[in-house]
Amino acid sequence: MEIGLGAYLGLAMVLFGIGASGFLMRRNALIQLMSIEVMLNAVNIVFVAVNRFHPADHVGQIFSFFVIAIAAAEAAVGLALVIALFRIKKTVESDNADTLRH
Amino acid sequence: MTTAGFVLFAISSVIAFFSAIATVGARVPLRAALFLMVHIISLAGLYLTLSAHMLAAVQLLVYAGAVVVLFVFVIMLIGPASETKPTMKNMGIRLVSLIGMILFTVTLAFALVSHAADWVAIETSFGTVEAVGHELYLNTLVPFEVVSATLTVAIVGAVAIARKATEFEVGEAKAARQATIDALEEARQEAA
Amino acid sequence: MENNLIPWIIALPFASAIAIGLSGRFSTHDKLDEEGIRKHRGMIHTLAVGSVGLSFLIAVKLFIELHNPDLPARVLTSHVFDWFDITIPSASGFRDVPIAASFVLDSLSGLMTLVVTGIGTLIHLYATGYMEDEESYARFFCYLNLFTASMLILVLGSNFPLMFVGWEGVGLCSYLLIGFWYETPEYAAAGRKAFVANRIGDLGVLVGMFALVSVAGSFEFSEINRAASMMNGEFTMGGVALGTTATVACLFLFLGCTGKSAQVPLFVWLPDAMAGPTPVSALIHAATMVTAGVYLCCRLSPIFLESPTAMTVIGVVGSITALMAASIAVVQREMKRILAYSTVSQLGFMFAGVGVGAFSAGFFHVFTHAFFKACLFLGAGSVMHAVHAHGDADIFKLGGMKKYTPITRATFLLSTAAIAGFPLTAGFFSKDELLLGATTIAMNETALPSWLGWLVAISLFLAATMTAFYMFRLYYLTFTGDYRSADHGHDAHGEEGHDEDAHHDDDHHDHAYDAHPHESSWQMWVPLAVLAFGAIAVGFLGLPHAFHLPNWWGHWMDASISHLPGFGPDDEVTNMTPVYIAMTLGVAAWAIGMGLATVLYREKNEDTFTPKFPKPVFNFLFDKWRVDEAYEATIIGGNRGLAKFAGRIDKSFVDTVFTGIPAFVVKMASWLFTRIQVGAVHAYGAVLLVGVLGLGWWFMYPHPTLDVQTSTDSAEITAAPGLGYTYRFDMDDDGNFDFPQAPQALEIDFEDDASRMQIQRVVARVRAAIAPVRWPNDRSALGHLKDRNRRIYELHPPTSEIADLQRILQNVDGVEAIHWHAAGHERVFGDAGNAAFDYNEEDFVGYMLTVAQADGSEQEMRVLPELTIIPDSFFPRVQFEGSPPRVGFDENGRIKIFPTATVNDAGEPATRPDSVLVGGVRQDEPFLLGLGSFATVAQYRMEVFPIVRARVEVRNAFGNTASEEIEIVLKESAPERVALGGEVRR
Repeated sequence: MEIGLGAYLGLAMVLFGIGASGFLMRRNALIQLMSIEVMLNAVNIVFVAVNRFHPADHVGQIFSFFVIAIAAAEAAVGLALVIALFRIKKTVESDNADTLRH
Repeated sequence: MTTAGFVLFAISSVIAFFSAIATVGARVPLRAALFLMVHIISLAGLYLTLSAHMLAAVQLLVYAGAVVVLFVFVIMLIGPASETKPTMKNMGIRLVSLIGMILFTVTLAFALVSHAADWVAIETSFGTVEAVGHELYLNTLVPFEVVSATLTVAIVGAVAIARKATEFEVGEAKAARQATIDALEEARQEAA
Repeated sequence: MENNLIPWIIALPFASAIAIGLSGRFSTHDKLDEEGIRKHRGMIHTLAVGSVGLSFLIAVKLFIELHNPDLPARVLTSHVFDWFDITIPSASGFRDVPIAASFVLDSLSGLMTLVVTGIGTLIHLYATGYMEDEESYARFFCYLNLFTASMLILVLGSNFPLMFVGWEGVGLCSYLLIGFWYETPEYAAAGRKAFVANRIGDLGVLVGMFALVSVAGSFEFSEINRAASMMNGEFTMGGVALGTTATVACLFLFLGCTGKSAQVPLFVWLPDAMAGPTPVSALIHAATMVTAGVYLCCRLSPIFLESPTAMTVIGVVGSITALMAASIAVVQREMKRILAYSTVSQLGFMFAGVGVGAFSAGFFHVFTHAFFKACLFLGAGSVMHAVHAHGDADIFKLGGMKKYTPITRATFLLSTAAIAGFPLTAGFFSKDELLLGATTIAMNETALPSWLGWLVAISLFLAATMTAFYMFRLYYLTFTGDYRSADHGHDAHGEEGHDEDAHHDDDHHDHAYDAHPHESSWQMWVPLAVLAFGAIAVGFLGLPHAFHLPNWWGHWMDASISHLPGFGPDDEVTNMTPVYIAMTLGVAAWAIGMGLATVLYREKNEDTFTPKFPKPVFNFLFDKWRVDEAYEATIIGGNRGLAKFAGRIDKSFVDTVFTGIPAFVVKMASWLFTRIQVGAVHAYGAVLLVGVLGLGWWFMYPHPTLDVQTSTDSAEITAAPGLGYTYRFDMDDDGNFDFPQAPQALEIDFEDDASRMQIQRVVARVRAAIAPVRWPNDRSALGHLKDRNRRIYELHPPTSEIADLQRILQNVDGVEAIHWHAAGHERVFGDAGNAAFDYNEEDFVGYMLTVAQADGSEQEMRVLPELTIIPDSFFPRVQFEGSPPRVGFDENGRIKIFPTATVNDAGEPATRPDSVLVGGVRQDEPFLLGLGSFATVAQYRMEVFPIVRARVEVRNAFGNTASEEIEIVLKESAPERVALGGEVRR
């Protein structure tokens, strides 16, 4: 079987689905953050793969590069939030972060 | 695609798939973090099959070297409380969204797999540090600088969120709270 | 003639008003020391008096220019800027009427400007003395200057809207100045009363204005007056015929005049307006603003002359007002109140004069009245100033003032003589002219009924008698006899007493005035002297021309005021009886009134006459005919009841429906939304998923969106890209896909034979559209002379009235005859549209009229359908009688046009051959029409276009298909190229 662009896109879609399902199912804020990382990486695959099939420039790779940078920033802020949550609630369960509701 | 490329793709994609499942499914966050690292490394392998050498290196450095380590640090900081017990809370919503997500994923993945495109011949410089860097610093300099500013802001924000409040700040907050309570009380008495 | 100085007459007082008004905040006493206040006041009155004085000088200069013999029309104009356009309905739809900020100084507005600025200067000067103790000095002069500017706009505005700006401006200033001492509730109420009464009138002015504009089609006074003869048509409002346009407009305008000029029934505000400072009473409520109504009537005199009905109403109302106000004045006891009723009465005189067609005499009375009434008010102010009376002065507590205020007394006496009609004073001549107008109507055959003349003459005689009586009563009681406040204590009239009187002018009997009156300063008596001189002298401008005396006034006014036939200044008076009757009445009124007053009041200290009236009569007169009470009981009371009722509705119904129900809805919604806001991340994720699933659903089906780019040599059809899409194109409309394995985009190259042959067939279609060719430029309006110089006319036949067409033709200079070519024969409409002709709008559509002109040349007019693109069913009259030209094909499949339809849609023989033009050449025989060419059939334009109908079918990865169709009309240079390779088929 010839591996083409479709294979990469399909794989990216599946990985994205796994990440999204994890984000939706898990209630541990740390694991949810990791799920987001998985999703971001899945998107990166699409960028890089499409870039490979349209190799006139490196726009896809550059975009992936930026996504990685933003993902690092997001992880930093997200983890800081987890620490703040833990300090207040003594837990990392995201369901407990509902103070604003009341 | 060369046979070596095919083999690398097959191995990497299988590892990526299973490690992703393990990451989102692990009970213990530390294990999840380690599986995430495996996942990231396998993605770097995928990037290699797509001739994105530079990006594969960045993936390893930034993700495996920085983000995952950050996760591990936080898990250590939080300690045993980082592990949560499974509960049935909100299970209805969670199951519904899981099923919806699976449907969506399968549908779209099915559509995407059939997307055919020919492998295009590339120059030898494609994806190298030199080529990508050239592009990065010449054509996308402004977004690049904006990203660096964003990163700085994010770090400052993260520090501001995560640090403990100083005694002075605690006192200030208490005083403000008291002032609000007093004002409310006064208003209540006036209304009465 | 254009003159750039005119706007400056207005700009100077206006700029001064702004400057003084802005400086006011620095003038309050606590901010400045005494020296500062003095300096500030010096600046204020220099500005205020100086600006109006300068305006006066400019007005004088321009007035002299009006005498230029090169200027026979005696009109100076000044166009400052185009203000705005207003869209009004006309017979053919809507059109824009421009409104310009432009001013006109003619013999009428020139004189009025002189009065406003001249008397205004004197009164400003007087006010600097009169208001010296007032804290709000700046505010007063700001308002006064603003008033002057507004009044000048009213007078000089060349069109109705601009005049209305001034009209409202003076109303506003009047309100502000009546309520100048607004701390006193009664004074503020008086201001409000004036404002409300004037608003009722202003509605009339607006309605009248639009009634006139709807016929004249212009806001300019000159245009409206020129269109006076067109004002005799029926005027309908909401489908109800109200009378002729002139009658409706004049009656509504007169409603405005009754408000502004204090006539029955809206006069009630003017006596109360005396609450304002005395200079205000003199300037606004005697000399200038209240005469604006008379000015308006004179300005539109040609229109008023068109409506005897309106004239009769005006005459009757004026007479009633004159009598009623004079009878009230007889028994009043406050100086300014008597003068106020006197003003109302004199305004009644003026309107009575206008009502009998004596516009010139009416305006003459405006002119003379301005002098003597201003002088009287200022004299009254001077007396009040002398005795420190604020608000108003009770004449029974005055007396013997000639000892204290000799100059005031002398000027007051002269003015009293003038208003009473003492022979050879100004009032004598102007009243005489009014009476002469009335008696002439009474005894001659005119458009106005003779009973109106008698009514006006007798009313004016009675009112003039009463005027002479009460004015001399006022004079004797104030200036002769003993000073009746001299023996009262002095203590009540320090600085506090001063204010006390200001605020309790009803308590006259409790407080006497200053025991030691004094003559006023020079700022006050100089204007008095000037005005008194005017009150004696200006009458000689209008000597009765019946005795062949030089009547400057009549000739001067003749340039801008119309008159009834036989009323001109040069017309020989054949019947001298009315003249003698008028003179007798005038002299008798003066003699009786003054004689009676002299006998009863000279050197007397109390009123021994009016209290002898029967009690009910006295009370009725003293209470001003109880008009205010009547209004209170009917209109105001009813309004108050309605307000209470509405308030109850508001509380019960509105508060429930519009407040309670929305509040409940919001409450419920907030309850719902707080339930949705669960705070669990998973729930939000699930909601997010709904959107994600929608996205997935969209991806399930292909979405080809066809896009076409045509150029002169190629056309490219592109379908939208998508995941896993495959495309199939059908280019020839036969249902089979010509390109089963097509790429996303398909290009047709017209130059390339191979590519072009891919289009196996070109669908050609004849398209008939209503595309009238307009003559000669695009814009058309009903019967408009588009351009006088280029002699371009447009007729717009689907009008409702034949008169419109005739009028258009009449207004076109040099049109000799109009030829109508249609239906193969020619008709000539007589010369310049005088001949009547049958007018059937359908006959005209699409055909030419040739207008032969005086110079022998001919001009074609094209008759156009009323609307451009309207479905036939919507607009049946542009349909062909014999159906549009038939389209067929010849044996080779080429398109063939049969211009003459032999039968119409109903199967009847067509009555008229349609004229078909191909390339400008008339075609009567069937002919072939190639691709890309067009023919004109009457107002139909026929074009032949090749049309490529492309259809794409897209299949995506899921196996779902979707198709879309697009039509490409190849309009540019492509058609003939396509035609080369394509087979033309229907």
